[in-house]
Amino acid sequence: MKRITIDPITRLEGHGKIEIFLNDEGDVDNVYFQVPELRGFEKFCEGRPVEELPQIVTKICGVCPGCHHMASGKAVDAVYGVEPPPTAKKLRELFYMAHFVHSHIAHFYALAAPDFVVGPTAAKAERNILGVINKVGVNIGTEVIKQRRIAQEIQALIGGHQTHVVMNIPGGVRKGLTEEQRADIEKKAKGFIDFAKFSLNLFGDVVLENKEYVDLILNGPYSLKLHSMGLVDENNKVNFYDGKVRVVDTEGEEHCKYSPNDYQDFVAERVEPWSYLKFPYLKKIGWKGFVEGQDSGVYQATPLSRLNAADGMATPFAQSEYEKMFGILGGKPVHATLAMHWARLIELLYSAERSLELATDPDIIGKDLRSPLPNIPNEGIGIVEAQRGTLTHHYITDDKGLVLKANLIVGTTNNNAAICMSLKKAAQGLIKKGVEVTDGILNMIEMAFRAYDPCFSCATHSLPGEMPMIVNIREMDGTLIRTVKRK
Amino acid sequence: MNKSDKNVLVLGVGNDILTDDGIGPKLCDFLKNKYEGTELIFEKLNVGGLEILEFIQGYKTVIFIDAIKTSGGNIGDVYLFTPNDFKETLHLSNLHDTNFITALELGNTVGFDIPENMFILAVEIKEDMVFSEYFTEELASRYQDIKMKVLNILNELIPNEFLIAEKL
Repeated sequence: MKRITIDPITRLEGHGKIEIFLNDEGDVDNVYFQVPELRGFEKFCEGRPVEELPQIVTKICGVCPGCHHMASGKAVDAVYGVEPPPTAKKLRELFYMAHFVHSHIAHFYALAAPDFVVGPTAAKAERNILGVINKVGVNIGTEVIKQRRIAQEIQALIGGHQTHVVMNIPGGVRKGLTEEQRADIEKKAKGFIDFAKFSLNLFGDVVLENKEYVDLILNGPYSLKLHSMGLVDENNKVNFYDGKVRVVDTEGEEHCKYSPNDYQDFVAERVEPWSYLKFPYLKKIGWKGFVEGQDSGVYQATPLSRLNAADGMATPFAQSEYEKMFGILGGKPVHATLAMHWARLIELLYSAERSLELATDPDIIGKDLRSPLPNIPNEGIGIVEAQRGTLTHHYITDDKGLVLKANLIVGTTNNNAAICMSLKKAAQGLIKKGVEVTDGILNMIEMAFRAYDPCFSCATHSLPGEMPMIVNIREMDGTLIRTVKRK
Repeated sequence: MNKSDKNVLVLGVGNDILTDDGIGPKLCDFLKNKYEGTELIFEKLNVGGLEILEFIQGYKTVIFIDAIKTSGGNIGDVYLFTPNDFKETLHLSNLHDTNFITALELGNTVGFDIPENMFILAVEIKEDMVFSEYFTEELASRYQDIKMKVLNILNELIPNEFLIAEKL
């Protein structure tokens, strides 16, 4: 058996390693995806006052600190058995919509668009956000940065800090908005909507008008038939901040719908000896291995699976785009991995529209920001949708509120098995006997996991900022016959 | 924007609850105390890529203090990098969006007010995968020496009017 190693060499943060094993015929036999995991966070939490956790968890991850802050804030509410007043919940959600706008813009323009606008096999030096700007115009770059900055300003205003968010306290939030601030956010939210619509139009022009790309999405080595998970509101519409977790099976039928408190009845985690990350699966089906199909226990928790799991979007423009996407892709559920990029843009539009709804809601400038804490702290679970998947925080405290145990299932962990399977399928489709493993092929394999927007180690900065890869092609006895490097 | 020589930002980058990864923020705290009363600006940040770009625009000089791991490096060694070294040594990027060099090029392309002078003070570390508020013993044992080196390097980089007489 020959072995190909895609090895990052240097882990400074979040680098993954892809091991591709070839059989004697030169075809891909198996693929293993390994990531170094930050260790000891649950232990780090033990003994600390539970109300400190929403601030501490923002340091788990520099990419999605707001997600951890929200899940943690909701878990702490649950620990105290308290429901925040409407103004507090809406302020949290408004902050969270800005967080989604900020993150989804970055993913599309910096990570997804280069593959389509510049081309999946284009020279690496051009396949980045600068290449996108070169193709579609410098004004786009200006607007990307401007909209991200505005989203960041809203987060800083409501959250108290753009990264180390401090807004959530047990039963509510620290501070409210003035009418002047509300009016400013309303104006900015309208800008978000325009930019989200523009981005969807760009996707339509560049991707949907290109038959080769549509074929790649629908018929390339990127489809994966798995169950879909996502948070939904009382009408089964997509919701990022609150609701119940709904899972639909590979045919689109509801498999389960559960409240955060019941997550352990529906999701279990498996350990594999070759991976630092656990592999969550649907408990009622059980772990059946890394297999696709209706009988598999593996699920996805991605923008696409959120749209698969819901009956629609709660805002009008996003709903229209939702219907358009499923119409073009052949109806629900969609199992095309690269369609996650499209779904992410629809979520961007939803976040923008929801920002405007919240900014124009009279409650948003209310003065009732915190509910009293009636109960002795005990145990609580908070679930939100992070950009990268369903995020669960579970805390158990003593009666003084000191943490005895903490458990987190982060967005990317939900997708660990699915990412491994997507990589295997892409590798099997792209690496064949006699085919030279070029940088372009490596990128097309990477596209399979980049679609998930994975956040591997929840760390924040890295050297050199992209996934360095070395592909070693070896004889069966391990003799190196060729190396492809990408730094 | 007119930039004065005093428009200097010292940015401690890293996660201060991730063992040695917190060296940048902790040195930033130390330096802020040392330069109290001056117009030097000290900030701590644990983001990279595009967010760094958004953070540094408008300054004439930015001095990053960051952690680094190099092959064969000695824990506690302090390096000074300039933009010419960035492609091989940068620790300020973000896997979620883009590397720092691309972010800087993007900033230039779209007409951002990018700092004229950028330096990276990087400290060789051992552990950045385990949550802890404390350094490893190896880094902690060299911390006094690191502080002195970083202070001296900073004194070389910043305009004279910021210089402090006392050194460790």
